[in-house]
Amino acid sequence: MPSISSPLNLLAGLLALLLAAPPAQACKVCRPRVDAAIHASDYTTNALLLLLPVALLIGGALLLFFSPTLVLWKPTTRPSTAPLSSPPAS
Amino acid sequence: METDNTPLHRAPLIAAGILIGAGMGGFVDGILLHQILQWHNMLSGKLPPNNLVDAKVNMYWDGVFHAAVWVMTALGLRMLWSAGSRRDVPWSGRSFSGALILGWGLFNVIEGLIDHQLLGLHHVYEYTDNHLPADLGFLALGVLQLGLGWALIRAGRADTTPAARMR
Repeated sequence: MPSISSPLNLLAGLLALLLAAPPAQACKVCRPRVDAAIHASDYTTNALLLLLPVALLIGGALLLFFSPTLVLWKPTTRPSTAPLSSPPAS
Repeated sequence: METDNTPLHRAPLIAAGILIGAGMGGFVDGILLHQILQWHNMLSGKLPPNNLVDAKVNMYWDGVFHAAVWVMTALGLRMLWSAGSRRDVPWSGRSFSGALILGWGLFNVIEGLIDHQLLGLHHVYEYTDNHLPADLGFLALGVLQLGLGWALIRAGRADTTPAARMR
């Protein structure tokens, strides 16, 4: 199976570059006030509260993905194609 | 050596479906309710977008939310890729579509309870005196999706062939 690590690394690099880019100055007059309001003292609180539902969902899904032997998710078995009994020896 | 009695694990495919479904549900919320209909923004309960500065601050936090939802979707795709190459994971369209719906429902219920009811960061329809009807409707949709998704996942238990064996 081909690896998808290299394209993902490339994509992650491109996204990191985009995040490092300066924000657009669409509103030159109000931009300083916008920046000040975003990066206020409650920035971390806002970020944590806002990301809480997503973090819960990711955490739960990771737990489910890596714990296939949890009691709740008992593994099922394939229907056997082998005969129930061996044919009589001739 | 693998035998016909190798245990099958459905959880990886379901986990992938839940994350992708929750991510797609998050995009529906963000794109439809935040941007197109403009019923609310991420912090509109705390900081109503009544002027340009407050609207742009809300726009920033909407962007942070979209980024998180994008990461969630990407993680789900990575899990799906992994589940598809495993010989112990049955490839079931019913289980996967059920997990997608369940994930969307989980997003609606968790986001609805935490952001709308507990924290009051925003409400589904912000511009009214009574937020409860729309908030409860959002939660009810989520519960309906949970039931439908769960039923589809259970129906998929009959599917036992891994994707790796279909090729």
